[in-house]
Amino acid sequence: MENRIEQKMQYLKEKNEKAFITYMTAGLPDMAGCKSIIQAQEQAGTDILELGIPFSDPVADGPVIQNASYKSIQQGTNLRKVFALMREIRSEGMQIPIVFMMYYNTMLHFGLEKFVEACILSGVDGLVIPDLPLEEQEDLRALLKKEGAPILIQLVSPVSADRIPRILDGARGFVYCVSGMGVTGQRGNFHREILSYLSQVKKVSKIPVMMGFGIEHAKDVAPMKDVIDGVIVGSYFIQLLEDNDYSQEAAMKYCRDFKKELNA
Amino acid sequence: MKNKNERYFGEFGGQFVAESLMNPLEELDQAFEEAIRQEEFLKQYDYYMKQYVGRENPLYYAENLSRVYGTKIYLKREDLNHTGAHKINNVIGQILLAKRMGKKKVLAETGAGQHGVATATGAALFGMECTVYMGEEDMRRQALNVLRMEMLGAKVECVKTGSRTLKDATNEAIRTWAKTAEDTFYVIGSAVGPYPYPKIVKEFQSVISRESKKQIMEAEGRLPDVVLACVGGGSNAIGMFAEFVQEPSVKLIGVEAAGLGIETGKHASAMALGQPGTLHGMRSYLLQDEDGNIQIAHSISAGLDYPGVGPEHAYLKDSDRAEYVSITDKEAMEALLELCRLEGIIPAIESAHAIAYAKKQAKKMDGDQVMIVCLSGRGDKDVHTISDYMAGKDCY
Repeated sequence: MENRIEQKMQYLKEKNEKAFITYMTAGLPDMAGCKSIIQAQEQAGTDILELGIPFSDPVADGPVIQNASYKSIQQGTNLRKVFALMREIRSEGMQIPIVFMMYYNTMLHFGLEKFVEACILSGVDGLVIPDLPLEEQEDLRALLKKEGAPILIQLVSPVSADRIPRILDGARGFVYCVSGMGVTGQRGNFHREILSYLSQVKKVSKIPVMMGFGIEHAKDVAPMKDVIDGVIVGSYFIQLLEDNDYSQEAAMKYCRDFKKELNA
Repeated sequence: MKNKNERYFGEFGGQFVAESLMNPLEELDQAFEEAIRQEEFLKQYDYYMKQYVGRENPLYYAENLSRVYGTKIYLKREDLNHTGAHKINNVIGQILLAKRMGKKKVLAETGAGQHGVATATGAALFGMECTVYMGEEDMRRQALNVLRMEMLGAKVECVKTGSRTLKDATNEAIRTWAKTAEDTFYVIGSAVGPYPYPKIVKEFQSVISRESKKQIMEAEGRLPDVVLACVGGGSNAIGMFAEFVQEPSVKLIGVEAAGLGIETGKHASAMALGQPGTLHGMRSYLLQDEDGNIQIAHSISAGLDYPGVGPEHAYLKDSDRAEYVSITDKEAMEALLELCRLEGIIPAIESAHAIAYAKKQAKKMDGDQVMIVCLSGRGDKDVHTISDYMAGKDCY
């Protein structure tokens, strides 16, 4: 079977639509509530969903995701339970592409081989690992060659410069362009050369270009609209869920409105 | 791009950081490799080591301690350095490097505050803006060092996440560096972090063993039988081991903190019970729970209160070149007081862990054998903790 992310990207390309991707920490408010938010998003038309696997030391994250991770760990969320949730979701027929965003130690501790196997069995489509740069990907990449294994989503930053072509070589799904320097959730802190940086990525990328970090509303990315193929919203979405008591309606409204405005 | 062999010590080390830090790390590596091959840079470093830090410091023959413990014990007096510990050796090197690279700001993490004080000192000397990240818990335990840093013109940022100690201060320093790497130099204080930091810290701390080797040859006409140092992240130990690693006759011992006892689970011995994992940019031994989350370390000594260890130490352990042992809070405090009374030296609680193990190790040695112990820092900063401990109060 073709990878769900690649299928979705192909579909959006044909429809000439930009992708809307959200991030939420797995296990919040609890496993059942988390599942209902995933359902709501599939209905609202969110294109891809990133599920954050909580880690004790999330060095790429700002305060919102740090707090969410902490809470989720306190509630006992772990990789094993998130895999169980994934199996449930897939067995109920939900087809939304799901990417795990996680720190490398969590999968190392689980065992890389066992981890990849569990991803295949439970229908995980992609991986974003903020502390695993190109130079350290060898071990994992070897295992991801397996049939049905998730795609390793590549990240680039405003200072990646000459590294960009190397990072994109063989990259699949989409490329995740970090909007600024630093951590998640820094509103309005896009890099001063954001446009030339994104254009540089777009020029060499054979796959769709997504922008993430610090985005709240579709209007935030209006100036970059011509060079990106979609956006990822994390911290703001988590805060919104928190502020609205994890209401399905609030999540659906936000996702629908964003997607609509993004493609207006 | 460096190949894997250069970035790793065996299977430990590497660069587990955000993509945005890969170019800054590459830039740092190039600047460092260039600098240490340049006579001018090395002369500058040596000048500040001598005139500012006060090197070379003595390799002191501890006559009374030797008599009581039953073997010849020499103390490498890093406690006599300016700012009171070995940390300044590395800081001067890194700040000189930062200057060469044209950076105007430095940031650092600190546990006990010794590295923070050293960085604030170096920043004052070279006119750089300095921010130090310190856990709230450590700020309480080491209030005196917070004052010192502020007097030296540094801004101390209180870290209130997680364990509120060195681990979380390091997280916050890494986050801040990721935001500011374009104009800021991150001065890492221990032999930890992503490549090339462990290599850089070792280079600048190896002055400890270069001097020690020369001094012991002068005093004894031979190499020591044992070299011993305490290990948190492992910077004084890696500096103390550096020149002796290639001497197979020298036994190397690193002493970790066993806190309330390894068996209680409240300790900081990554080598005793840790498993390999990735944290703070490196693959090394780490204290982890069953889900791979990093566990909180426990030690009466803020400087050893770290759930990981430098990658080269992990390699020295796995290749059996060095032995790693641990000492409890209680054993360390007893040794601390014993050194005060026998030699008139108040050691840092960190260094007291090494003294405590020296006592155990000496029992396996005879009177003519020679042991060097790295006295990494002085205990002035610890007097409150020591007095609380003696009064039977909770020191955590």
